[in-house]
Amino acid sequence: MKKILAILLVLIFMGEINAQQSPGKDHSELNINCKTCHTCDVPTKDEPCLVVCPREKIATIYQKPEQTPELIVIDQLKDRYNPVYFSHKIHAQMSIMSGGCENCHHYNTSGPILKCNNCHQSSRQREDISIPDLKGAYHRQCMDCHREWSHETGCNTCHSPINDLKESEKNDFKKQLKGKDHPPVTEPTKIVYETNFEGGKLVTFYYDDHINNFKLKCNQCHARESCTRCHDVNHISSDKLILVKEKKSLEEHHKKCFNCHKENDCAKCHLDKQLEPFNHKQRTGWALNKPHSYLSCVSCHGSKQPYKKLDNQCVSCHKGWKKENFKHSVTGLRLDKIHSELSCEDCHTGKDYSVKPGCNGCHENYVYPNQKPGRLVGK
Amino acid sequence: MSGKSRREFLKKSITAGAIATGLSSSTLKAGPLNILSPDRMGVLVDTTVCVGCRNCEWACKDAHNLHAGNLDSYEDRKILETKRRPDHTALTVVNEYPRGKYSNLPIDVKVQCMHCDHPACVSACIVGAFSKQENGSVIWDTDMCIGCRYCMAACPFQIPAFEYDKALDPLIMKCDFCFDRTKEGNLPACVNICPVEALTYGPRTELIKVARKRIKRNPDRYIDHVFGELEVGGTSWMYLASKDFKELDFPDLGKNPAPGVSESIQHGIFAYFVPPVSLYVLLGGIMWITKRRKELGTEEKI
Ligand code: SF4
Ligand code: SF4
Ligand code: SF4
Repeated sequence: MKKILAILLVLIFMGEINAQQSPGKDHSELNINCKTCHTCDVPTKDEPCLVVCPREKIATIYQKPEQTPELIVIDQLKDRYNPVYFSHKIHAQMSIMSGGCENCHHYNTSGPILKCNNCHQSSRQREDISIPDLKGAYHRQCMDCHREWSHETGCNTCHSPINDLKESEKNDFKKQLKGKDHPPVTEPTKIVYETNFEGGKLVTFYYDDHINNFKLKCNQCHARESCTRCHDVNHISSDKLILVKEKKSLEEHHKKCFNCHKENDCAKCHLDKQLEPFNHKQRTGWALNKPHSYLSCVSCHGSKQPYKKLDNQCVSCHKGWKKENFKHSVTGLRLDKIHSELSCEDCHTGKDYSVKPGCNGCHENYVYPNQKPGRLVGK
Repeated sequence: MSGKSRREFLKKSITAGAIATGLSSSTLKAGPLNILSPDRMGVLVDTTVCVGCRNCEWACKDAHNLHAGNLDSYEDRKILETKRRPDHTALTVVNEYPRGKYSNLPIDVKVQCMHCDHPACVSACIVGAFSKQENGSVIWDTDMCIGCRYCMAACPFQIPAFEYDKALDPLIMKCDFCFDRTKEGNLPACVNICPVEALTYGPRTELIKVARKRIKRNPDRYIDHVFGELEVGGTSWMYLASKDFKELDFPDLGKNPAPGVSESIQHGIFAYFVPPVSLYVLLGGIMWITKRRKELGTEEKI
């Protein structure tokens, strides 16, 4: 969890760099060549000697996949092969669950996107052999994944020999990719795993709880998915995707859960029967109504695992709430004039805000919410 | 007859034989070329990068006038289901191994001559046909090769192959590090074609640095072992892998050169021979010695 937070923080930090076009206070410590942005040797605050570049148009690798180019035509070998039409956006969308943009743009400053040939030389016969040449670099990007699910390594898999394609077919390619997104990934509600664990064979995983209630982001768990998780290893058909049973060690299987859950509490997940979905009220006695239902767990419980029980006092979180400055309308109920002059405990007996307020102190036979001390308002 | 005088006799009779067969004395060398140049070249094979496309197999055959066929036919992955060894029809082959229980990706390993720094084949060759060249290549002279197959027995990697199917003049075959290509400033054919540059060609000393750097930067990807850096005294071709080399069928060899390399047994006696004609002279000589020895009742061994 800490790691994930750290990564997120870095990403947010990088995102901010992008948004403000300012590299941040300690950017000299980042692993960026100074000359990427400065022309002089000792840039100062007053004389930053910045290179002339279209700053507002700088594309960085910290874009959303949707903002990235749809199609990239790779045609360096156009005298031998037809161009390769690379569906960049779709690949970027897929990459979210497996390492992100850095998967391919593995070295980049926070500035403009570097081209592969900025570092990778086009000749295989070269002095610096510490990194692959351009041909090797390109092919590693594509073939590493593609061969995993299709087992194809032949040149013609991607490079169709010149003249094989008519001009009209080439345009078809472009048209096909236009506006095309990676199909939305269908999300399950719950998954019941049958395990060999003696103490309890069933593990019920509520996917929607984790997303909607616990507010996890996809890539918090699916950070390094292999393409074969979705793409057909046996290559039965290109458009029929099969969710392949994950080949993972026991340790790897548990790793994702252990990011948040305690490691030694097996019986919490391994049960003999299916688990009910998470219910805050049942579990804690405190119903998560609006506006608290919008919050993620950590916003109240903090990131420290396991979560501690909080008391029901509003002021434990809302420090500084007093009768004088509390706007009752945030609860969805605006008090009428008479009631707003009462003290809190007159209705919320014992200052326990988790239970229904009582009217008995003043009214006989009045029951909340049949009778209300004001009117309901939108929150 | 003492050992010394017998050797002198042999020298004389062979020179006489050579002259008799019309060879000038300049073609008679004192021993095989066996240079260990500090600038020798090598190849680093990164088995974690190789995608098993077998393009290298095709390029190698194509460069050596062996029947190569169509490059497209090398896409057939069925062939990878059985383990193969380089032979006289294919000087290099790619074999496939499972990466582990939890991966769909295999590990592909290209196999060819390692071009040893202290080549056992060079030492074993009785006629001095084998040589280690300045650029690291271990090559052999087909005209000198008499097909005795000593190199096959000596090689710790079982590389030299024999043209068993040839009735006439069967010869030894193995990867020659594309000596004819590198001589002209070209890359070895396999290095040149590899789509992912799993084969890095460069000075051996440089390659070791590159290999060490890769291991240091990706400790999860590689085991901490550069195969060939030290094995049998070092080899020009070296390998990186994600798992123990034994599991990839690499022989478990020590750091010392293969047995027989330093002794250079055969050369002392046979280095002056020019086959195949002189072989007859030699055999004649041996017969003569044996006969003489019997006559003299000596128990000395040749
Ligand atoms: S691998 Fe075998 S054939 Fe190749 S150089 Fe070494 S000993 Fe000779
Ligand atoms: S170096 Fe040349 S001979 Fe050796 S395997 Fe490569 S292509 Fe074949
Ligand atoms: S050409 Fe390169 S990637 Fe293909 S099998 Fe040979 S070494 Fe591996």
